[in-house]
Amino acid sequence: MAAVANVPLVKVSINDVEIEVPKGELIVESVKRLGLEIPIFCYHPRMKPVGMCRMCLVEVGFKQQDGSVRKMPKPQAGCTLPASEGMVVYTDTEPIHADRRGVLEFLLINHPLDCPICDRGGECPLQNNTMAYGPSTSRFIELKRHLPKAFPLSTYVTLDLERCIQCGRCVRFTEEISGDHDLAFRFRGADMQPSTFQLTDFESKFSGNVIEICPVGALTSAKYRFRARPWDLETTPSVCTVCSNGCNVWFDHRAGKFVRINGRANEAVNEEWTCDKGKFGHEHYNAADRPTQPLVRQGDGFAPTSWSGAYDPVLAAFAEGGDRVAALVGPRVSNEALFLLRRLFERAFKSARVSSNWRRTPGSGSVQGTIADVESGGPVLVFGTSLADDLPIVHLRLRKGATNAGARVVNAFSRPTEVDRFAAVSLHYRPGSELALARGLHGLLAGTGATAEAVEAETGVPADRLREAVEVLKEGGTALSSQGLYDLSDGPQIVEALAGIARATGGRSECWATGANEQGAIELGLAGEGATATLQACAEGRVKALWLVAADPFALHPDRALVERALETVEFLVVQSPVGSEALAYASVVLPTALPAEQDGTYTNCERRVQRVQPAVPPPGDGKPDWRVFSECLLRALPETPLFNPREVMEAIAAEVPAFAGCRYEALGPEGTVLGGNLLDTPDEPAMVGGQA
Amino acid sequence: MSFEVFRDVAQPIIAGFGITARRLAEQKVTVQYPDDRREQFPRTRWRHVLTRYDSGLERCIGCSLCAGACPARCIYVEASENTDQERYSPGERYAKRYEINMLRCIFCGYCQEACPTGAIVLRKDFELANYEREDFVYTKEMLLEPIRG
Amino acid sequence: MAEYKLLLEHADDPAYRTLAGYQAKGGYQALRKAVGMDRQAVIDEVKKSGLRGRGGAGFPTWIKWNGIEKEKTAPHYILCNADEGEPGTFKDKQIMETVPFLMVEGMTIAGWATQGDHGYVYIRAEFCDAAKAVRQAIDEAYAAGLLGKDILGTGWDFDLDIHLGAGSYECGEESALMSSLMGERGMPRLKFPHAPLPTVAGLWDRPTVINNVETYACAPFIVERGGDWYATLGASTKNSRGTKIFSVSGHLNRPGNYEIEFGTTLGELIDLAGGVKGGALKACVPGGSSVQILRGDGLRDAVIGYEEMWEAGSMVGSGGCMVLNEHTCIVSFIWRTAQFYAMESCGKCTPCREGTKWMLQIMERIVRGNGQPGDMDLLMEITKQIDGRSFCGLGDAAAWPVAAALKVFPEEFEYFIKHGRSMIDTPQARALAPRWAQTVGV
Repeated sequence: MAAVANVPLVKVSINDVEIEVPKGELIVESVKRLGLEIPIFCYHPRMKPVGMCRMCLVEVGFKQQDGSVRKMPKPQAGCTLPASEGMVVYTDTEPIHADRRGVLEFLLINHPLDCPICDRGGECPLQNNTMAYGPSTSRFIELKRHLPKAFPLSTYVTLDLERCIQCGRCVRFTEEISGDHDLAFRFRGADMQPSTFQLTDFESKFSGNVIEICPVGALTSAKYRFRARPWDLETTPSVCTVCSNGCNVWFDHRAGKFVRINGRANEAVNEEWTCDKGKFGHEHYNAADRPTQPLVRQGDGFAPTSWSGAYDPVLAAFAEGGDRVAALVGPRVSNEALFLLRRLFERAFKSARVSSNWRRTPGSGSVQGTIADVESGGPVLVFGTSLADDLPIVHLRLRKGATNAGARVVNAFSRPTEVDRFAAVSLHYRPGSELALARGLHGLLAGTGATAEAVEAETGVPADRLREAVEVLKEGGTALSSQGLYDLSDGPQIVEALAGIARATGGRSECWATGANEQGAIELGLAGEGATATLQACAEGRVKALWLVAADPFALHPDRALVERALETVEFLVVQSPVGSEALAYASVVLPTALPAEQDGTYTNCERRVQRVQPAVPPPGDGKPDWRVFSECLLRALPETPLFNPREVMEAIAAEVPAFAGCRYEALGPEGTVLGGNLLDTPDEPAMVGGQA
Repeated sequence: MSFEVFRDVAQPIIAGFGITARRLAEQKVTVQYPDDRREQFPRTRWRHVLTRYDSGLERCIGCSLCAGACPARCIYVEASENTDQERYSPGERYAKRYEINMLRCIFCGYCQEACPTGAIVLRKDFELANYEREDFVYTKEMLLEPIRG
Repeated sequence: MAEYKLLLEHADDPAYRTLAGYQAKGGYQALRKAVGMDRQAVIDEVKKSGLRGRGGAGFPTWIKWNGIEKEKTAPHYILCNADEGEPGTFKDKQIMETVPFLMVEGMTIAGWATQGDHGYVYIRAEFCDAAKAVRQAIDEAYAAGLLGKDILGTGWDFDLDIHLGAGSYECGEESALMSSLMGERGMPRLKFPHAPLPTVAGLWDRPTVINNVETYACAPFIVERGGDWYATLGASTKNSRGTKIFSVSGHLNRPGNYEIEFGTTLGELIDLAGGVKGGALKACVPGGSSVQILRGDGLRDAVIGYEEMWEAGSMVGSGGCMVLNEHTCIVSFIWRTAQFYAMESCGKCTPCREGTKWMLQIMERIVRGNGQPGDMDLLMEITKQIDGRSFCGLGDAAAWPVAAALKVFPEEFEYFIKHGRSMIDTPQARALAPRWAQTVGV
């Protein structure tokens, strides 16, 4: 973190080494500048310091006028102590070692020491600090505290009260980061224990994070329970593809099988948090019904075949080309695969019927700022979306902006959402009146003579609330919504009205994608005519061959009857899928493919940030990455030089698609790169994070 | 026969037979394996055994510390949770799969040292020969001590 | 030296609890005088008086009042700490029940001096009578225009309200009190130098004055009769001025609240309370359960004063003087004290949460007769690991009595550990023994 220019520097002395640090910086952070470390439990850099665990005690003194040092009589908690001029800190003296031993002895007297069966064993801060600073034996001979073990706090989080050291990180997380206040302490003194209010389920949509920040094995994942020990695991940096936020994660795997997801720090995207959908939503990697080899239809069943045996009928069926062949793409296909699919259809099949848009109405949204911009503190209108569900990380960032930077938020949705908890104004409109509300707000902000009372009559939102909302938004209000709006019949008009609001206030207009690579498909020009139109064409017999790429129309399209009719009518159906789906039953050919963490490629998140995933585990059986399937089809269909790897595909994308100009794997950097940003002048070195002067 | 011949040829032969003759009455060093087996030293480290408590419950809790300690990386443990209906070991956790690849094992005994419950011990059974390579992966069923009594 | 009744002069007069009776005895003259004075002049009077906090720490009151910003940028709060939870102390209870107007007037004066907007009296919920009396006093003051809008025609508004605690000793700690008042869990908050002083950012992060009931009750006298006059009281001591109410309890003939001038000796205080009952004086805890215990011999000459008591090895604290006669078993006494602190630790910081429980477990084992040779050293080590390492003063307060008793009465601990029973084996002690034995369950 670079020093902010207007914070004055102060001289402090740490273990007799003088350094300059920003005034007010916590000592626990200052010592890191010297490569030292103060052991901690309760302190977390992203949460307010509380000084509860007393592990970080340091000796503190102040330089006097005459140059002597006056030490404070008691050791001080380094995690709460702000640096000030002339401060003298000792982190490594004998009294401090004794204090650390004392605190650890206290923490361990009631700790069950069941490390061998604890899921945290091996990556446990309490273990590490005890090894480094703790006493080797305990003098405790009384009865230890006995409490329920493996209490299910929710479907995902298991609480072991015996192991808890009452550091309060989990409680503070729900208070300060997720903002749902789901957890609290109950009882006091040695009986104090974290729990949910009213002992209900731990329903937070970000509950998985407390598992990672718990410094002991008190909060563990119910999904990861007893599945592996840390030393059994290998880990690969990856990107979550459950939604469009593109959270950076560690993909932990053992013997080629997915085990768990942990948050990975990316200051520009998810900081270090994950949502529960991402953290616990990767179980399909181990699903038993994943297709493992190419299959061709044989009567009522399938016959296994080789990849060539599958390509031949596919290419023959699609050879007719033109409008008679079509492809529908799911939201989790990488940029490289999308690009090659488009090339395959354009060049080999001469067809433009490739569509990634599963929404009811066409539209390409709007991206003007970044996820990090949301927390800058300007007023924000959240319109027609439940942020915590659709864009969970944006929700966290917006909440941070509201609580830390004082951003005033107006939340407009037909029912209460998590955003209401920190919103300045909540507008709960009648379902179906989205357009009226958006136009009404636009009218009120632009001063076109609209009255709040008229809008109230149409939407059911009280006029006073509307006026409050206008008051909040009129100075630079940003309109933030998701492309879920296009699922409404008047979606494009609503998005247009929201853009009008942003123009009227001078803020940004953001209408963000929700699928992992929905935005990438838009950038690559694959939005197409829309899935509904294609499915209708199939149902009416106008399309002969349909290619489903990682898309289960039964899950993605609301009209089940149409989907059934289309899949039954179409003569030749290719289902290219990494997972089992209902559509497999209709397939003429099944092509097994790889899931995101089983392949190399890039994804474009909702803010147009291109991030890379790497193959962490192999796909099951003969599964191949999507891009390779298309590359091999291209090789068979056309006399072109094939693209051998995703890196080359990205170079081709950069050359052909203007939005991706300059995008190379080398230029992506550890945090990914936002399209249209400083891509063109990035150096060849990949590292470009931090340390900028 | 000259003296030289006697001294250089016959006498050593006779002396040799003499030693043989003297040892004829002594106990033999060679053991008639496999009819006879030599007593092993008390701390001999050979084939692993997963022991049980007197109650019949398995000692192994599936903690994987043996796998972590193993320099040959030849132990694979997969744990699972005990339920009241299906209980393998005391406490919450037991080993669902426990495999040792005997071809890789170097019989160092670190697993025994690392084991917090004394479940894995190296005992005296050294006859580990087999016909198929796959048969050298000892499963939990093979390693587990039979229930006594 | 005899009792010096300043605060408690009219404590026995029921009429003094009404506004009319209070004003008849000269009440509210001080406030009238104060609003005629410059705000800084009021603070200067308090400075001259040498008044120090009566809640236990003895911090000079004027520094708190003077620390409030002079150029007002935010609402100022005046808090009264009436969460008197220290075992052995019950002086605030009597002040609130018998002379509530002194406290109300004192808070109003403090409000005037610091441009306060709103005052809260945080009363321990168990003090029903006290809360009722204060409520009544506040209501009467409102009716007479002595609280509320435009007080005494100055154009200055000041509101006063009562908040009942929920039964936590920890909420008597000023920052925990503020947390509790704000509706949070009663846990202490960061203090200087980790966070700004309450005078800068206290209740709701606004400038806040927080004082004890007795401290506020002194203010009317200081303003009315002048700081110089007040400073003549207790002039024989180093730096303790005025009077102090001591709640004297234990083996005494007439236990109760006694107001004395600083400079009085402990012996005189004990005599005021009718002398020790049922045997010779053995020990005394002069300032509430959290201060260090003193041995009976030589204790009578100890002068009461903040510095003087410190030199004698203990503290004035909140004035809860507990007197023990020769039939008291110190080990059981400390066990009971440890029980209190283990029960009342809020659980925020490790040393206090775990340490108080551990000390209690060891004490309990000793009292059950299962003491072990190393227990005394271990207890001493634990007190050292708590003292000064805990988040707030509760940890220190839990460690001091144990450490002091180990130092002052080591022979009793040694005996109890060695023989598994108390060294005090008199008929009177045995008569007491079943009571605690029952509680422990031996």
